[in-house]
Amino acid sequence: MVAPVQFGEALALGLASGPACIAACGPVLVPALLTGHRGVRTNTRVLGIFLGARLMGYLLFAVVAWELGALASMLPAPRLVLMGAVNVILAGVLLWYAWSAKHICGESCSDERLVNIEASKSQRTRGTAALGLLTGLSLCPPFVAAGFRAAQLGSIAQALLFFTCFFFGTTVWFVPLAGLGCVVRNQAVITVARMTMVLIAVYYLSLGITMLLGRKAYGY
Amino acid sequence: MATNVQAPRLVRPEARSITRSLLLTLPIAIWSLLMFFHPGSSTDRLLLLASAITAVFMVWLFYMMMRTSTTYRWRRAFFVGLGLLFPIGFIHDLVVMRGSMGIPVEEMIAGRTPFCFMPIPTLILPAALTRSVPFPGSLAPGGGASGHGIAVMVGLWLALTLVMGKGWCSYACFFGGIEEGVSSVPKRPQIRKLDPRWRYGPWAVLLAMVLLSLALFEPAYCVWLCPFKAVTEYIAARNALGTVQNVIFILLFVGLVVVLPYLTKKRTQCSFFCPFGAFQSLFNKISIFEIRIDKSRCKSCVLCQNACPNLSLSKESIARGETLMSCMKCGSCVDVCPNQAAVWHIKGTDVAVKPDRARLMFLYGAWALAIMFGGSIIAHSLFTIFHFFA
Repeated sequence: MVAPVQFGEALALGLASGPACIAACGPVLVPALLTGHRGVRTNTRVLGIFLGARLMGYLLFAVVAWELGALASMLPAPRLVLMGAVNVILAGVLLWYAWSAKHICGESCSDERLVNIEASKSQRTRGTAALGLLTGLSLCPPFVAAGFRAAQLGSIAQALLFFTCFFFGTTVWFVPLAGLGCVVRNQAVITVARMTMVLIAVYYLSLGITMLLGRKAYGY
Repeated sequence: MATNVQAPRLVRPEARSITRSLLLTLPIAIWSLLMFFHPGSSTDRLLLLASAITAVFMVWLFYMMMRTSTTYRWRRAFFVGLGLLFPIGFIHDLVVMRGSMGIPVEEMIAGRTPFCFMPIPTLILPAALTRSVPFPGSLAPGGGASGHGIAVMVGLWLALTLVMGKGWCSYACFFGGIEEGVSSVPKRPQIRKLDPRWRYGPWAVLLAMVLLSLALFEPAYCVWLCPFKAVTEYIAARNALGTVQNVIFILLFVGLVVVLPYLTKKRTQCSFFCPFGAFQSLFNKISIFEIRIDKSRCKSCVLCQNACPNLSLSKESIARGETLMSCMKCGSCVDVCPNQAAVWHIKGTDVAVKPDRARLMFLYGAWALAIMFGGSIIAHSLFTIFHFFA
């Protein structure tokens, strides 16, 4: 089992690198939350799904990191391919999410309280979960730092527990995002959020493709 | 069945007398002299000539605004001149000081890049969370991020923005003039119907760029989306990624700054894309100057809506007697209104009570800024041209 020191280390690492995690997940999470319904409780539910799926991504990553020994041994070229593939899939999910989040008007769009989201609850749950999982698999700097440490542990169970503790440390920083539920949902907000998702998807797509091109794109 | 719709009768505001117009122009003339010929300024003949031409040009435009009681066409002359001349002086300086318009990406990250106001909104979150800004810096090679220079520029921008709101985009921005010039070329728009949802575009670009800048700690807008990189500095393309980025800059410039303004007669980059414009819109809530529609005079002819270069008027907003948040205070709606229902207004006062006084107060501030900021750029670019041919 993980020693208490390692437990504390993972938690502290998560708490310390939380701002970097929220910055890395922000481009995906903020517009996703804004395309949902209004209300702190609803947003907390969406946030919970996202974070739960992100934990799955973390644990999956922990298994891979432990199996590989250390990410440091991963050469730049395969790392680029892995990142590129994650980015391309992420872009695809974002585009689908933006498309499915069409707003419809209950009776009149002039009344913001009657604005509804077209996507069904299960569609949104699947979309949010996919986004959480993919951001969990992204190699953001704090994640790589945790990956290095997890890879040094004695067993896969220890690596998994280390990542779980790390996850809870970072999650504290995500709690205020539930407050986005207070933002009014009208045609303007939902349209801006959807457009933002498309722009971010295009960014991830172009980044992913250039990463997959690897040598040609980056010159090595 | 055809209906006989009578065109609204255009009631032009009365022209002022020459003497009164000259008197009203006097403060601006003094300001121009102070700006261009202050003690200690260069005695270079070509620079003096460029400064004199600029000063006369700016004072003459203000005089015409006073004489004709119209704003838009005179402001546009300045704005288009600024937009066309800015790249000339800027590119010249870049080539002289750095030897190329291309800036390596590591120079950008290190902040050794020319300052631009566009990324200001994307700097706020990184600055608040990390106490450092990823971009921009000074023009001088190896100068690094000049803290004082940036502070002065941001402070100046903030002070003027608090007063003028989004008026910055009509009197100070050195990019918008190119598309305004292009949009004024055709007599009629080829594309008349524009989906009003595109108005949300700048907000989406702003949100995306703020989030991406924070995530990547790079000036995402400058690295990926700025159309004006096509006419200023660009990323030195040393690999396919750099080439893709530069192709994006060129395509956005051609599409948003040349083709669409020509087809729509609107400032499409400002209306549908510019994240800085969206950010500036927030300050329209604070600024005391605004344009209002006097509902008692309005005949709902929507001439103002059609004339607005920024889609800042809609039927709903006209019915409410106000412009949308994105109004750039260019004055086109006021000039075109046949019933003088669109008026300049100071918040807290009754609508249409001495609107000319509100216009004057706004224009003094806005034109003083135009001379200080845009005028100095025009003079510098003229000097560059004169120097080239001398």
